[in-house]
Amino acid sequence: MAAVFNLNHHASYVNWHFIHLSVSNVIVIALTLVVFALAILLPFPRHGPGGSS
Amino acid sequence: MSVTQPPPAPSKSWTVWVRDRAVNALPPEKLLADKQPTYVASWIYVFGVLTLSSLAVIILSGSILALKGPAWWHFTGVGHFFNSVHLWSVELFFFFMVVHLWGKYWMAAWRGGRTQVWITGAVSFLIAVPCALTGYVSQQNFDAQWISTQAKDAMNSVGIGAFFNLMNFGQMYSYHILLLPVAVVALVVAHVLLVRKHGVVPPFELGESLAAARAGEPQAPTKSPPETDGPQAETDGPQGGQRTVIAPTNPEPGVPPGEKPS
Repeated sequence: MAAVFNLNHHASYVNWHFIHLSVSNVIVIALTLVVFALAILLPFPRHGPGGSS
Repeated sequence: MSVTQPPPAPSKSWTVWVRDRAVNALPPEKLLADKQPTYVASWIYVFGVLTLSSLAVIILSGSILALKGPAWWHFTGVGHFFNSVHLWSVELFFFFMVVHLWGKYWMAAWRGGRTQVWITGAVSFLIAVPCALTGYVSQQNFDAQWISTQAKDAMNSVGIGAFFNLMNFGQMYSYHILLLPVAVVALVVAHVLLVRKHGVVPPFELGESLAAARAGEPQAPTKSPPETDGPQAETDGPQGGQRTVIAPTNPEPGVPPGEKPS
């Protein structure tokens, strides 16, 4: 991962009033919300009469 | 002359007692159901089993790490690999569990006598947190040392530092590979068995129909699955044996009404 992302610096943080979150945590929280929304909105695949998807 | 034999007296064996109660509480058709209600055909219902799958990978990779030891997971390529598998399966475990928790919260999944299902799930989540923390402080590196010195202050601030010493590697490692995983797995097993017993919680509309049926109100003939009676694709309606089914939201040829396609 170090080859993909340059980790050789201080972490970046999001500051808003009392909220103090690292950017990486904000990304994970946002990703969780997106996956949650998609899990509700996306149609679930159904098998056809022959048993194939 | 024939002699009528009296019926055999019921066995007083404790194994029979346990077996009878276990089968009554969770008959085989509920324990290993082959059908689920139509409403289970949604992505939001997938995250429970994804959490279980992640837990299986955590246990497997953690067992290998425990067998080989810190020098192996720090200084060999294969050890690094299993260390990473263990870390990322934990990350996915919490990710899937949080989505599962959100979904069940907004479904009010404690409805229909499912209080114990909700409590076992919530408590297993709470115990999984210190299980992960003790893993971070058991890495045997500077990262673990930093986390343990920081978290030590948190434990001291709430008055449990004398009992839960994050600077004590032996204690943390014992918590991490035995005490807390046993608690998490036991609660997860109980959680899954309770889900099997009570069935997957239905959507609000169906739950309300069942509550109205209990109160004796007339029902529309296309609703009312059993809310507390476990997974079932079809059910008899509340009005004098009238046959009612759960109408599939997207019926297709070859798929019986109310049955999840397999």
